[in-house]
Amino acid sequence: MRGRPLLHTRYEADQAILNTMTKKVMVGLFLITLVLVPFGVVPGIGFLAKSDWLRLLSTVAIFVIGALGLNILLGVAGQVSLGHAFFMGVGAYVAAALGGDPEGLRLGFGLPMWIWLPAAGIVAAGIGVAFGPAAVRVRGLYLAFVTLGLVFVGDYVFRNWISVTGGAEVGRTFPPLEFRLWKEEVPLIDFASDGAWFGILLTSEAKTFYFLLAAALLFMLLAKNLQRTRVGRAFQSIRDRDVAAEIMGVDEVGYKLRAFGISSFYAGVSGALLASFVGSVIPSRWDLFLSVQFIAIVLIGGAGTVAGVVLGSAFVTLLPRIVQDATFWMQDVVIAGDSFLARVLDIFVATDATDFGLINTLPGTGPGLSVFQLNQVVYGLLIIGFLIFEPLGLFGIWIRIRNYWKGWPFTY
Amino acid sequence: MKTKYKWVAIVLALGLVLAACGGDDSADTTEAAAPATTEAETPDTTEAETPDTTEAEGEMILTDVGVDLEAGTITVGLLSDLTGVFSALVKPVVAGYQFQVDAINAAGGIHGLEIKLEVRDTVYTVDTHVQLYEELRDKVVTIGHSTGSPHTVAIKDQLAEDNMFAIPLTWYSGWSDPAINANIVPHGEPYCLESMNVLGFIMAQNPDFSTIAIASNAGDYGQDSAQGAKIAAEALGLTVVYDGEAKINAADEATLAEVVTGIVSNPADIVWVTTSPGAYAGIYGQSLAAGVVAVWSGAAVAWVPSFIGPDSAIRDAVVRDWIFGLPYSPWNADNPGTKAAIEMLKAADPDIAAFDYYLEGIGEALLIERILNDAYENGDLTRAGVLAAAKSLESMSWNGLWPDQSFVGEPNDIVGRTAIIVKPSITDLEAGGSGVEILDPAYTSDIAAAFQFDETCFDAFG
Repeated sequence: MRGRPLLHTRYEADQAILNTMTKKVMVGLFLITLVLVPFGVVPGIGFLAKSDWLRLLSTVAIFVIGALGLNILLGVAGQVSLGHAFFMGVGAYVAAALGGDPEGLRLGFGLPMWIWLPAAGIVAAGIGVAFGPAAVRVRGLYLAFVTLGLVFVGDYVFRNWISVTGGAEVGRTFPPLEFRLWKEEVPLIDFASDGAWFGILLTSEAKTFYFLLAAALLFMLLAKNLQRTRVGRAFQSIRDRDVAAEIMGVDEVGYKLRAFGISSFYAGVSGALLASFVGSVIPSRWDLFLSVQFIAIVLIGGAGTVAGVVLGSAFVTLLPRIVQDATFWMQDVVIAGDSFLARVLDIFVATDATDFGLINTLPGTGPGLSVFQLNQVVYGLLIIGFLIFEPLGLFGIWIRIRNYWKGWPFTY
Repeated sequence: MKTKYKWVAIVLALGLVLAACGGDDSADTTEAAAPATTEAETPDTTEAETPDTTEAEGEMILTDVGVDLEAGTITVGLLSDLTGVFSALVKPVVAGYQFQVDAINAAGGIHGLEIKLEVRDTVYTVDTHVQLYEELRDKVVTIGHSTGSPHTVAIKDQLAEDNMFAIPLTWYSGWSDPAINANIVPHGEPYCLESMNVLGFIMAQNPDFSTIAIASNAGDYGQDSAQGAKIAAEALGLTVVYDGEAKINAADEATLAEVVTGIVSNPADIVWVTTSPGAYAGIYGQSLAAGVVAVWSGAAVAWVPSFIGPDSAIRDAVVRDWIFGLPYSPWNADNPGTKAAIEMLKAADPDIAAFDYYLEGIGEALLIERILNDAYENGDLTRAGVLAAAKSLESMSWNGLWPDQSFVGEPNDIVGRTAIIVKPSITDLEAGGSGVEILDPAYTSDIAAAFQFDETCFDAFG
């Protein structure tokens, strides 16, 4: 079998999650790199060990969990949803109500994370399934609008249910990420303070990163596994042609409900983790833009693939920071010198009020996009670009690179 | 597969449009073009995690993070909403801040050290605010500006951990509460006392008034103000004929209509509404059309000069009915602090259009300058040293730009109690001012003076 990685003689080997040696090695290297990131010892990406970058990577992990949920719905089962942000909000407030400070201003029972985190997923899943009967009756554009409605219903409820959400413009605090058995004083494991794990001194950001990384890996494994089960195959058959699937005996309504349920579970957990990670959130966080970001993650990464979700999440989460740093760098170059590069970059950035620039980070000055607005434009362009030119997303690009090297030095 | 995604693209395009539309509901404010010479910095990745204490040559100056004696810079972080719902107000604040810092640096800085600003756009989102704080925490000596109450609350534990403070751009009365105050340097009269001052002033002018209608946004801004109005109403013997506290959601027309109905069907001598500028003008305009005649007021954040601009249909009525109590002096104030600020602004940008929020930024920059100066003179520019300098600043004078204030002592000593009472003025706007006429340059009502700060007027954050 050596040298013929795609020749499988057993069904189990063919269906294995990592079915080739190359994949095993790549995933292994990737994991080792991630584990080493907080120590800043990986050449070239040592800066990721800084606390702000670790926080960004933690956010990536949370977004991976949420996007995996949408991927199951959109990428695997073929059902579009603009309501993902709503289910994240539901998860967040279930977590807040169950895990919140009982002495606090808002509803809270002070329960430990092993209760509130699964509960966030379960309640979101329950609402997802309850909403299902309305959703399974429609397809495509109509389904998009039905789910869009959820975001606005959620917006109203989150703004006005003050005892739970804190209300508009105020929000509430969320339980911290920490393990307790019950309500004991000192948590078993807490991520909020620096400390040693197995004798290795870690910052609070590193601890949080490891926890969220582990959570994301677990959910990735579950999502990957789902795709090769009976349920996953049923989802895919519905995606590819729902009428055909039904003729083959796939219970369309039942499986669509399951897809909504599983997707909402992921969203709920992701929302709870995000709110808990940030510490306090105002209700407008769970808005349409968040849903659009998740659709962008799935489509840019590559619909239907777990690796695509990871790439997409990293891309969408890190893009604002990269755009910001790139803008500052360009400003520096323009201000510093008279070089050719400075003149070219001068078109893109404004350095003072009289200066024209596509990007304008200066407060109180004239036209030009802020970093945030530029991000929105970039999302829009990328979504359109990927849909037209690379429907398989970043993952599709990777497949092409892989196939090129597979046949190398021959073209095919 | 490709064709299946066609409609997804359409939905997404629609979604992006909707998301973009939801952006700015803080009304069309007169946004002035003003140059700023922001010096951007590429992030310094070489900085050590736990910086050593350094000594300057000649003088013994302790430093840790954010102060580079060799390069001669002190770096201050600004977490500002430059794109979100309050950007129309915050952008001029930050521009004014930057102008003032440039002027301070040109005049020699902090004993020769130049102040550098690291401005970050928080988009008025709490998690972005926290994330950007994390980015700045290895670079800055303190946070010179933080937009938004929940946003500032979200970083208070990290501020404590890092021995830093933040100057919040909100006038929430809770900032004076010892539970939060340790790492916050609030300024000006809080919303709650603003209500007491303005209502006290109105009643002194119109002793025969007997009724008030109150409506507000939910949250620390609206409800702190509404609570203050209720305390004042009780003390002044005003009957609250309509209570719309927390009823307004600026993004939801239905809530505005409900409040208008409440105001129209319960005629009052005074209408107190605290919300965003756009919603305020909407409620006022509809009530006016329904025949409501009253004195109108509310938190001054609702006031922007465009309401009496040449295109405004309600300009004459606004001038007749509105009155506000600003926490800072407006453009045309006759005091040395404001005059110096405007001279500085005009030197920096001769075409600058009058807008009071520039002055807010200048006030914040002057406060930072004073704190850094004090810290330098104490020989301690570490974060702890700068925080200590802020918390031992007993009497800060802005020469009239802001009312004088102390930052030392119990809540009753530090809470701002002075309002600058103004009414809209077309004459002033046309003469190049910010559109207000000052009725009293430093007013403290008896209720505000006697107010005992035991706890925050409205507990939003618990």
